[in-house]
This record gives sequence, structure tokens and C-alpha cells, in this order.
Amino acid sequence: MNRLAQKYLRPSQIPTKACHGCGIGMIENWLLQAIDELGLKQDDVIFGTGIGCVGRQTFATWGGDNFGATHGRALPVATGLKLAQPDKKYLIVVGDGDAASIGTSHLIHAARRNLGVVVVCEDNMGYESTGGQFSPTTPAGYVTNSSPYGMVEPSFDPCDVVKAAGATFVAETTATQWHQTVKIVKKALQNDGFSFVHVRFPCNENFGAYALGTRDTLKNLEWIYEHTQGRKADGSDTDFVWETGIKHDASNSRPEFSKLLRDMNGRVQAGVEKRPPGSGGH
Amino acid sequence: MPALDLDVKGTLVAPWVDWAARHNKGRRLLEAGTYALTEGAIAAGCRVFAGYPITPATDIAEYMSKRLPQVGGYYVQCEDELAGMHACAGASLGGLKAMTATSGPGYTLMHDAYGWAITNEIPLVVVDAMRVGPISGITGAPGQGEFYVARYATHGGNFETIVVSPSSVQEAFWLTVDAFNLSERYRTPVTILTDQVVSDMWEDLFIPDEYDGLDFVVPRRHNLMMPFFPVGGADLDVPPNIIGRGTGVCVSAYTHTEEGYDIEEMEAQWAQTYRLVNKIRHHRDALTRYEVLGIEDAEVIAVAYGADARTVKTGVLEARREGIRAGFIRLITLWPFLDELFERDVPYVVCELNYDGQLVREVMRAAPDKRKVHFMGKSAELHTVAEVAAGLEGVARSGRVPELPYIWTEVR
Repeated sequence: MNRLAQKYLRPSQIPTKACHGCGIGMIENWLLQAIDELGLKQDDVIFGTGIGCVGRQTFATWGGDNFGATHGRALPVATGLKLAQPDKKYLIVVGDGDAASIGTSHLIHAARRNLGVVVVCEDNMGYESTGGQFSPTTPAGYVTNSSPYGMVEPSFDPCDVVKAAGATFVAETTATQWHQTVKIVKKALQNDGFSFVHVRFPCNENFGAYALGTRDTLKNLEWIYEHTQGRKADGSDTDFVWETGIKHDASNSRPEFSKLLRDMNGRVQAGVEKRPPGSGGH
Repeated sequence: MPALDLDVKGTLVAPWVDWAARHNKGRRLLEAGTYALTEGAIAAGCRVFAGYPITPATDIAEYMSKRLPQVGGYYVQCEDELAGMHACAGASLGGLKAMTATSGPGYTLMHDAYGWAITNEIPLVVVDAMRVGPISGITGAPGQGEFYVARYATHGGNFETIVVSPSSVQEAFWLTVDAFNLSERYRTPVTILTDQVVSDMWEDLFIPDEYDGLDFVVPRRHNLMMPFFPVGGADLDVPPNIIGRGTGVCVSAYTHTEEGYDIEEMEAQWAQTYRLVNKIRHHRDALTRYEVLGIEDAEVIAVAYGADARTVKTGVLEARREGIRAGFIRLITLWPFLDELFERDVPYVVCELNYDGQLVREVMRAAPDKRKVHFMGKSAELHTVAEVAAGLEGVARSGRVPELPYIWTEVR
């Protein structure tokens, strides 16, 4: 076990049940590096997740307090928790299903409220734990087990969505960019507001096998890397390009959601004289 | 019409009989059911309301938005009911008592969170102010269509639920405190299944002077050590788990171990089910709340709950005035179902606000002879006193409910 896993994770819950070559464990290690470099302790961070590959493989690995919400609802749970435990850091690690499909409305409104959490969307570009169906982040035209003729829908970029909704920190990175990812997650954790980090990683068993034609981890990582550069190894252009890096940084520029409510409570309580119960209704 | 014989005293079995006798210093107001539900929650220590406005529960949200900041609590108007109940679950996990309120269309959306709260043993209170359906139906008309939905408030089976129903504004206040107490003691969500009439109507409401000194309120406690889930047992009064105190607690949607770790083993599934079902079944006695009148010597007994029980009770008194030995059962605890109230082998006339027949099916199951259980279903409007009296008289004299406009009697 490596030093960071020993320091922060639960020995009984790792290694996870993830498939061989899956990027989830590697990305989690990078998250630990960011946490460690910021000097955060287990008790400082609440780890929340959802359903699917990312939910199942990361739940209860964190050595501190953990929650695994129903599919898509990690952010509503975090919204309630943040009211009760405002001083904690929240690392909400979810997949593209949770963040970009079933839970997108919660993502939008958490961004709008500037809820003080870091959402790490670990995106394997499809529903891989159910056997590899397309998701809203599957590139258009690619073959999956529910798009055997190529996905006919356009995909969307969740970074654009949360930025438009008011997120105060938005970044995109991939499982091929270690140092950049650590740097981004550190910045995200330092924003007292809504931070969104989109991390693409390969699924070898499904997306790799069906969309890219290989279960070879390195080839699938290379395919992702090429699309961050816009250029393949043979020098030709890729079919599309993912711009990675920090896309929007307005960290600490506006009040965090639970702070807004606490401040309002302070104003209300200062302005209301002591009145008996039952006086407040009308 | 001569005055009704009001000398027939009913018996109310509920903890607030004692609470009201001991805490009689306070103020009398003319207020709405939604107001009583809100104040009951504040009195019980509720500090988070997260929900989505919906008729006829909207006024609870509005009252909460005003009251909670005054007592250091938080009102969150969520993007939908899924978010509302999940946020309540999150707040409760963080150590704050929480409530949400909705009507049928929103209650259905909450089933996702309801199951999560059940499996993770998270105390919270859900108000469902029922309107007539299905779906949006008539937003301002009462219904009783969620009798079974509230019992089976999520999928997957392997759980019991606690559901209570008030029939007056005053009772809504006490019962809300009671619902919070039950949710804390049983570590589970509790549904207050009310209806459009109780939530919208204005009545006399007594409110205690001080909420701080209410000795009957069960305070929030925190479980700070393993086991987080005493699976395989059925203990009452296990303190709820808390996230944010560094206990290392894990909660999730999966079948879990006592640590909260996800597990896919038959033994673990059995142990978890044992606890979820039996923590309620083994402590049914502490869940008994009802009102009865004249059932000991009744030749026919009317059964109802919620606002509809108000006119049904008056109908019973009217039938008695006409010489029928009519009795009355008003269920306050709907689930677990109070089978013990239906031990007498007499005809029962079940009045409820739906045409399909829900409560009547449970009475048929509990009563000694289901052929003697009669149905008087009505939709979108309370039973009239005359209808109830005619039904009781018909059953007592000729063994059947007479044909009445807008009343359905078939249950097949």
C-alpha cells in the first residue's frame, strides 16, 4: 500500500473491485495527493459519492466519514449536510451518470447556490457498470452497447453547464494529466464555494472495447491524451479536441451558500424581538 | 334538528393527551393546519426544512421560511422533491432534525430518498397533504389515495414504515411533535399523512408558551461509535449516526455491514432486513394511537381517519340519536396497522376518500369476517353526516349500505 493510501484510506476497503486497468483508483490517489499537500486530515473531509462505477469503487475507501447517495443525489445530500456541518470540506466524487445525466439538475442548482463542495466528475464516457451504454458525455457517433450504429445524440460538456449556472471554480483534466489534476484539485479545495473538476478516464472493458476497439489500458489512455492535444501519434488531427486546464476561476468571489443562510439568520435574529412561539406566522 | 347526543364520550389513545394536560400554559390562536404542522415541528426541534412548494402543503414551506431563521434553522427551497428529501436526510445525518412537506405528486418523487433514509436509519419527518388524484387531480380537494403508498414508500421491500394521520388543527400540532419523537426513537423516516382539509382549515389552536421546556420532546442524540448499524437486532432508542464528527461512519444505498460497508452477501441482507422490519414490529405497542367511541356494545362500527373522520364521527352520533348502536374507530396510527382494534365480530363501515378502496382492504384483513366489512368510498369531498348515518342505518337494519349518489361500495 502506498503512503497516501495508508494515511487516508481504509485498508479493509482497498483495493476496490474495479476492473483491471480502471482509472478510478489512480485518480483517487491524485485526490489524496492534493489533500495531503494542503495539509488536510481525515476528519477535515467528508467523502460523498453516488452510483455506478465511480460510486461503487470509491465508496467507503476514504478513512473519514463517507456517504454513498442514491443515483444522482449526492449533491442534495451534501446540501443538507453542509448546513449541519459547514466547516468541513466536501469531496463529492461521482461519475458522468450522476453528474451529467440523472443528477444534472442538482449539479446546476448547487453551482447556482455556490454550495461549498468540490465535485470531481470522473467521466468514463458512458454507463460502464451496467455494461457500456452511452451517456450524455459519450462523444457523438461512437459505438456503445446501446448505440450499436453510433450515438446519434450530441454530447455536452458539463463544464459549460456549471459555468453558466454560476460555479466559482471550473476545470477539466484527464487521467493522462497527473500534475495538472493535482494542481487543479488543490485549487478547487481552496475555493469556499462550488468547484467542479471534470476528469476523463478510460473504461477498458466497455468504452475501450466497443467504442475504441481495444481493452489495452495504454492505448485507451493514449486515445484520451491525443484528444487533449488534437493530434494523433501519426501526426493527423483527431476528430475533436478537449481543452483541458482551468476554465473558470472566480474562487472566493461570492459567499458560500450555507454562509448566506447563516448571515441571514443573524440579521433576522438581530431584528426580531423576543416573541412567544406562534407569533411568527403572518 | 335536535341537538346531537354529545354525552357519548370517545376515548383518545395518544401521548398528547398527557402532554396537553401537563403543558396548559400558552396561547389560543385561530390558525391553519399548515401552521400547526409548522409550529409542531419547530417545537420538536426541527431546524431544517428542505422541499418544493406544492398545493396544499405550500403554506408549510412559507411558514418555515419565516420561522426557521428566527430559531437558527435553515429553509432550503429545492429544485425538486428528490432534492428536498435527500437534503433533509443530509441535514439529519449532519445532526439537525429535519422535515419536508409535500402532496401526492411530490411524495411519489420522494420514494428514492425515502428508501435511502429507511436503509440508513435516518430520522426525519415527511408531511403528505393528500389531494384527490391520480397525479395532479384537483389540487384543492381532499383525497386519501396514499394509504398504501405511504406504507410502501419505497421499492425493494424488507422494511416497515411508520405513518400517522391527524384529524384537526390542534392534533396536527401535537402529532407533529410525536412524529419527530418516533423518528428519533425508531431511527426511521415518519410520514404524517394528512389531507387538504386538515392542512387548509382554520381552527382553535393551543400553543405552549415555551418550546424549550417541553419535557416530552425526544432530543437528538448522536451515535459516536461502532456498531453504526446494529444489524440482526431490533433495539429501540439507538442514537442516530452523525456525519462530520470523525466517527468514520459510512452510509449508502447498498445492503450494509454494521460499519456501513457495502456487501453482497445473503447473511448481511438477512441481518439488515431483520433490523429494519423488527425494530418496528417488536415495538408496536409504542406506536398505538387511535380514537374510539362506543365500540364495546356497537352493532355496527364506522372506521375512518384524517379530516373525513370528523364528519364520520358526527354521522355515528347521528345514527345513535336515531337508535342505532353505532360505534366509531378513528385510526391515528395508520402503519403499522392496528389490527387489535378490529377484534369484534360486527359489521364495519369503512369510510375513506377514494373510490378504489384502500383502508377497507386492511380492515377486511384484520376483521374476523371480511364479508361484514362494508365500503363507503367517496372522492374529492368529505362524507356528509347524512350519508354516514344512512350507511350505518342500512348496514344495521338490512346488512348493506344503501345506494347513495357519489358513494362507491364495491371492493373487488
